Amino acid sequence: MPDEKEFIALLNQHQKIVYKVCNLYMDQHADREDLFQEITLQAWKAYGNFRGDAKFSTWLYRVALNTAITFFRKEKRQPDIYATDQVPDNHENSHDPIEEQVKAMYAAIGNLSKIDKAIVMLYLDDYDYKEIGEMMGITANNVAVKMNRIKTRLKEETQKNEANYNYQTRWN
Amino acid sequence: MELDELKSLINQKLTTAHAGRSGDDIAQILTRKTVSVIDKLKRSLWIEILCCIGAILLFAYFGFAGDNHAYQVYFSAFTVLTTIFLVIVIYLLKRTQQLSATALPVKSNLQTIVNIIETFMKRYFQFTMGLMPACCVFALLLIYHDHGSIPDAGTIFGTYFKSSWQMVLFLVVYAGALATGIYYFTRWYLKRLYGRYVEQLKQCIRELEEQD
Repeated sequence: MPDEKEFIALLNQHQKIVYKVCNLYMDQHADREDLFQEITLQAWKAYGNFRGDAKFSTWLYRVALNTAITFFRKEKRQPDIYATDQVPDNHENSHDPIEEQVKAMYAAIGNLSKIDKAIVMLYLDDYDYKEIGEMMGITANNVAVKMNRIKTRLKEETQKNEANYNYQTRWN
Repeated sequence: MELDELKSLINQKLTTAHAGRSGDDIAQILTRKTVSVIDKLKRSLWIEILCCIGAILLFAYFGFAGDNHAYQVYFSAFTVLTTIFLVIVIYLLKRTQQLSATALPVKSNLQTIVNIIETFMKRYFQFTMGLMPACCVFALLLIYHDHGSIPDAGTIFGTYFKSSWQMVLFLVVYAGALATGIYYFTRWYLKRLYGRYVEQLKQCIRELEEQD
């Protein structure tokens, strides 16, 4: 039987990873809560087999991404479409151009597919292509190709989102 | 702007947009039930196992304790069929439990889940469809060989059918309609339960395998 206290302490220490995954995969607060609970439970179930060969953070990322990708959201809730106004914001009504760009980029990432979101998330956390490939079960070369395509798509989407945002703020 | 230029800011936004949980909150979550499809499947498998055990006990009782030879053969055959299904269900449950306890790479995890669900759907479908001809064949064979021991069989058939071809025609139409109904209902039921989900997971696998 795995040590519950040890697991709670480790998860508490690394809970930012779980929140990152929840924030990226779910746009509604209730869905994020559901996913947080699901990841926690799945991690607890698998914790007995965690041997410590990999870092706990890497292992937790794997569990969290597996859970988020295979998570079936309740149908009644809103579709998984990110709009710039749904982005978690610490500086509301800010007209800082960098903040607007971050918002636009965040919204663009939110519109990616589940697989692309996972790759972007690991890339943002400074994992190299080989490590991302190991976690995703694909080659480093494939990760590089996908990452290139994602970056191009994000750039285009961000420009569109920014233009929309500027248009909205101009007329509001 | 490019992703690399906003990397740290996006990262910061992703991690700050939450209210942290205490150790007590996490401990409380650990007492709850999961809602994942694999755990739902696990619960379904447990229900199937319990139903199979109940059916086996009931069939075995009628098979061994019944005073009618026709019923004995009929229920013994179904005891064997249900036992085979039980073995398959236990094997699937074991595979599902193994999957929950490991942290596989994303692609392998998706492939394993799809494989487990598809095997479950396939075997469930085969079992349901297999029961139909088995029921018909056993029933007809036993009526043919042992009609004397089935109480009121002659009276029932004699009341409704004037000749034997009418009875055969009725049985063929009845079996055909029942088989078609069960075929489409089982397919619809399994598709409704897991079809859309499996398709979504397959789409993720295709995306991972895609070499741009």
